[in-house]
Amino acid sequence: MTLIAHELRLLLRVRMAVLTLLLVALLSIAAVVAGMAEVARQRDVIARIQPKQAQDIASIAAWVDKSKDAGSAAYYSFHATWDAPAPLAFAALGLRDVAPYILRVRSLGLEAQLYDGEAFNPELALPGRFDFAFVLVYLTPLFVIALFHDLVSGEREAGRLRMLDAIAGSGRHLWARRVLLRGGLLFAALAVPLAIGAILSHVTGLALLAVLSLIALYLAFWISLTLLIGRLRWTSVANAATLAGLWLVLTLILPTVAHVAINQAIPVGQGVELTLAQREAVNRAWDIPREDTMRAFYANHPEWKDSPPLNAAFHYKWYLAFHQLGDESVAGKVAAYRHGIETRDAAAHDIGWLLPSVGVQSVLARLANTDMQAQLAYQDRIRAFHKQLRNFYYGYLFTDKPFGKVDFDKAPMFAG
Amino acid sequence: MSPTTTGQRIILSDVNLSYGSHQVLRGLTLHVDAGEIYALLGGNGAGKSTTMSTLLGFARPDSGIVQIAGYNPTAEPDRAREQIAYVPENVALYDHLTARENTVYLLALAGRHPAPDAIDGAFEATGLQAAAWDKRLGGFSKGMRQKVAIAIALLREVPALLLDEPSSGLDPRATADFNRLVHDVARKGAAVLMVTHDLLSAADIADRIGFLEAGRIVDEASAQGDDRFDVRELHRKFAREVAAA
Repeated sequence: MTLIAHELRLLLRVRMAVLTLLLVALLSIAAVVAGMAEVARQRDVIARIQPKQAQDIASIAAWVDKSKDAGSAAYYSFHATWDAPAPLAFAALGLRDVAPYILRVRSLGLEAQLYDGEAFNPELALPGRFDFAFVLVYLTPLFVIALFHDLVSGEREAGRLRMLDAIAGSGRHLWARRVLLRGGLLFAALAVPLAIGAILSHVTGLALLAVLSLIALYLAFWISLTLLIGRLRWTSVANAATLAGLWLVLTLILPTVAHVAINQAIPVGQGVELTLAQREAVNRAWDIPREDTMRAFYANHPEWKDSPPLNAAFHYKWYLAFHQLGDESVAGKVAAYRHGIETRDAAAHDIGWLLPSVGVQSVLARLANTDMQAQLAYQDRIRAFHKQLRNFYYGYLFTDKPFGKVDFDKAPMFAG
Repeated sequence: MSPTTTGQRIILSDVNLSYGSHQVLRGLTLHVDAGEIYALLGGNGAGKSTTMSTLLGFARPDSGIVQIAGYNPTAEPDRAREQIAYVPENVALYDHLTARENTVYLLALAGRHPAPDAIDGAFEATGLQAAAWDKRLGGFSKGMRQKVAIAIALLREVPALLLDEPSSGLDPRATADFNRLVHDVARKGAAVLMVTHDLLSAADIADRIGFLEAGRIVDEASAQGDDRFDVRELHRKFAREVAAA
């Protein structure tokens, strides 16, 4: 029997240690299962929206086909966009629980549509999702403390330390063996369920390796901190109390303080404020002479300036033009909003170098493609798609080309 | 490493040791030969525990020579500890392991892997009842725990055995059993140094008794004849040393 096997038997005879390891494994399994279920639900919703979208367009097409009016087609047809979860999203749901992953857009003003889904239930959003990132970042340090706080002090208090130290060779390697064994079991309890979930989710080997390394590094940080406190030769109770305090400070208090400080230092408005500003610009347009609106529009978009002039009747090209002008009137605010969010995000990343809990969460969300960068990338894809939509409908509207049922088939499709 | 039956196994020569400004050992000199049992008697604060710590390499002397079977515990703690079996005052083993599992584990830590028969033999030699061999230590008495510790010491086959207050808390029968056991270990060639303030127990098994006072040996007595020691005389000396301390 090897020494590691002896140590394993010794550890597995301690009920508290076994319960701790079982609890970690159960929480890890539960988090992976919950994460996979949520990702499957989101995928299912995304899959279901496409046939519904086709049904919706078909019913509008039947009606539009009677008038052949491209403006009605543009006004009434919604086009689905979606942000499919990445394979690793189950491990860190990140912003996917508060930010929309499906958005149906029309070729009207975009800014008002982008933040339609921004209002979420704050009571549900506050605690966040139960996912692997939560188990790793917030709960795992507590289990590290439970398993390591009395590694040496427990032996001292039981009166065995002197005897263990007196046994040749054990002093040098005994603690290293025990740390490796406990750390290894803790790592396995976290990593095995995650690896199974990753394999089932078709996560690439490299991404899985990166997450496993992240788990190992985070464990190493907390184990080192626990051993460092252990070196002060305090009692087990004092070690546990000190480490619990450090857990509170490092995972809850300092990240919250940092979050507040970042928000104070980098003020950013709400997305809904952009919606309001764009809506106000659009509403004002009703009171502006139509020729003025079209002149402004053609100045920005000379490719459509050869369009036939407006007559007395309502024309959708004017309506869509002032919607686009509404978007363009808030372009500066949109850029500032985006810059503010990106600056905050970068600041949060920087904080991650100082606070491991923030850093791990940040890296995990990046690997899972569920962070702010992923949200902004989705927004960019929506903007690109919306531009295609506009150009598509403008091609009919600004040339007075009739829009029939078959023309809906030519409409751009969101690539996902 | 097998012990031989000749030579000085435990040597302390003119050892001085201070904790800060407090000098605990003052020119302490003693030696224990192979097969000899040396009892170190002293009152509280005489330096018994520090002597033990010095031999185990936990305390570094300011000056003097300390050797365990030729190894300096300060310079070569691992090699020196390979030569020692240490039985503390309160034998604390792992309560959730059986006597056998404790023995196998602690011997494995010391790099020893005895056959199961050898462990049975050691348990038998210590007088530990067979029914207890595979029971967890949770319910063991102090005497039973000491027997397990001695079994471990026997199986390590080291040249030096250090006993820290071995008879403390044992009833007379358990003390007699323990003394017999220590005697057997010594007869196999180990040098035994026991730190105690149990004069009767020391007189029962020790070949020599040293009186430690303020960090040095102030008197020493050797067993002679069938009566071994004049216990009344020893008691007078011990009482005088303790009173002086």
